[in-house]
Amino acid sequence: MHGRLPPRTQAALYGLMCLLLVPFVFPTWWMVTSSVKPISEIFAFPPQLWPTHADWSSYQQVFTLQPFARQYWNSAWIAAVVTLGTLGVASMAGYAFARIRFPGANALFVVVLTGLLIPSEVTIVPLFQMFRAMGLVNTHWPLVLIPIFGAPCVFATFIMRQFFITLPAELEEAARVDGLGRFKIFRTIALPLARPALASVAIFTFLHSWNLYLEPIVFLSTPSLFTLPQALTQFTDAYGGPMWNIQLAAATLTALPVLLVFVVAQKQFIEGLAHTGLK
Amino acid sequence: MAAVEFTRIQKRFGNTHVLQGIDLAIRDGEFLVLVGPSGCGKSTLLRLLAGLEAVSGGQIAIGGREVTELDPKDRDIAMVFQNYALYPHMTVADNMAFSLEHRGRPRAEIKERVDWAAQILGLSALLERYPRQLSGGQRQRVAMGRAIVRNPQVFLFDEPLSNLDAKLRIVMRSEIKALHRKLGTTMVYVTHDQVEAMTMADRIVVLNGGRIEQVGTPLELFDRPANRFVAGFIGSPAMNFIEGRCTSMGFEAGDGAVLPLPCMATRPEGTVVYGIRPEHFERCAPDDGVAAQVLGVEPLGSDTQLNLRLADTEVVALFHERLVVQPGDTLHLRPRLAAVHLFDGASGRRLGAG
Repeated sequence: MHGRLPPRTQAALYGLMCLLLVPFVFPTWWMVTSSVKPISEIFAFPPQLWPTHADWSSYQQVFTLQPFARQYWNSAWIAAVVTLGTLGVASMAGYAFARIRFPGANALFVVVLTGLLIPSEVTIVPLFQMFRAMGLVNTHWPLVLIPIFGAPCVFATFIMRQFFITLPAELEEAARVDGLGRFKIFRTIALPLARPALASVAIFTFLHSWNLYLEPIVFLSTPSLFTLPQALTQFTDAYGGPMWNIQLAAATLTALPVLLVFVVAQKQFIEGLAHTGLK
Repeated sequence: MAAVEFTRIQKRFGNTHVLQGIDLAIRDGEFLVLVGPSGCGKSTLLRLLAGLEAVSGGQIAIGGREVTELDPKDRDIAMVFQNYALYPHMTVADNMAFSLEHRGRPRAEIKERVDWAAQILGLSALLERYPRQLSGGQRQRVAMGRAIVRNPQVFLFDEPLSNLDAKLRIVMRSEIKALHRKLGTTMVYVTHDQVEAMTMADRIVVLNGGRIEQVGTPLELFDRPANRFVAGFIGSPAMNFIEGRCTSMGFEAGDGAVLPLPCMATRPEGTVVYGIRPEHFERCAPDDGVAAQVLGVEPLGSDTQLNLRLADTEVVALFHERLVVQPGDTLHLRPRLAAVHLFDGASGRRLGAG
């Protein structure tokens, strides 16, 4: 359809799209370029879009001022475990709500959904007390368990349920005739077909865990246990002021996996959408 | 191969009685077609046989073994679904091999069975394709292939041709029939299309409102329908029905027109329905038949189908010739007496030997 547009209209549309991109691209551009500028250049007026001399030392300092590699690892493994855990719990719960007929299923689902209405700030204090009683404060367990069994997983369950509802019942009936039980139908038929839904759940779960800020600052107090959003706030000078170029270098490093996950999972997303073999 | 027996089968969904005491015996190796209008319970009966729904009452036996409470996997049946239900993420070969792999059959045997089924159904060149890369007819064949690799005791077909275009439907019809001849396995086939039923079945079961109206060979149902419902359902175009009474003059329709009656031992009392198929009208001289006004003409090439008003009733007549008539013309028609059916006005039951 775009091919039929006159060249001028097409050019105008591309121009408009470029303009709309600015608010999204400029902060990232500013973050990346400023991470290799000296502080004086960051605050120069008029602003300099391109650094006159790239100074990569800020990246080195990120790793000397903080146990940043360790913190990076903390965020990575927590996000990975939370993503896998959420995919497991949400896909099974979503499948059960969509496919298994049991008394009160819909009422139970509504009760589960109400979990989304409660802000995490409301539950953080009781959760802190609960984990303190269990001796798990200042460990990574709260950052793993809360997302997998809390509100973020409810949202993921909702997405998976909506997907499984659209899956043709005949596929499962064919599998039953072929001799499969409930769990094997889930594992060999329903789950492989749920790749689009799993990809979206994986994207938002990973991002949510990667960016988690409130829970880490409440539950963690040892720098070597910190996650990245928490660590970013620690790059301050003796007076408590931010060390801008170092902080932006750390922020750039923090943003990299997010971009990577999005690119990889988006491919899965498109592949999954093509998976419709039924008429 | 195996015989199938339904005994007093009941099925309720909440307060709705979908099947009301079905007794039916399907012979070993028979091609039995369940036919009826939407909601008559034919698909439900098939799903009960497959084990995909639980019965509310009664018993089902396959090959003399009671299977009423068994899971689908333990009934030794295979089913072809209306939407084919091919696994979209598996190739044709994987779809066909899936059930055998699940049952832990040796790899060599699986390959042999899949190759055999693919050869029978003309799928050998398509084994590495995915369902989305196949046409409707090819998908249908894969669905059948998936069923036959298992060599089950009974094949179940749930309206398998309803998603295909008219031309392909005719091709697949004969392919399924040929498959039945080749395998000799008992097949139970559900359709709402009476032409499909007539052309494929050894015997047809006509269902209506959760009850069996009649069981018989296609020609038995066509020639000797048990009641008005079966008479109207079997045959295309459908049988014409004219309400009236039997008098000494013949059959007197509502507007006073008199139609000839076949010989009967006793004259039926009360309201009677006169049934005559469209192809059983003959043109005749004015004083030898009943006048009918032409309402519409449908030239079908070798045949001509007319919509007519006869004895104050709209009827359809089919002539195996080209007729040059216009709407508004009057024709004189005479029913072939041997093909006339009389039905009781109240119960719909066919009367006498008509």
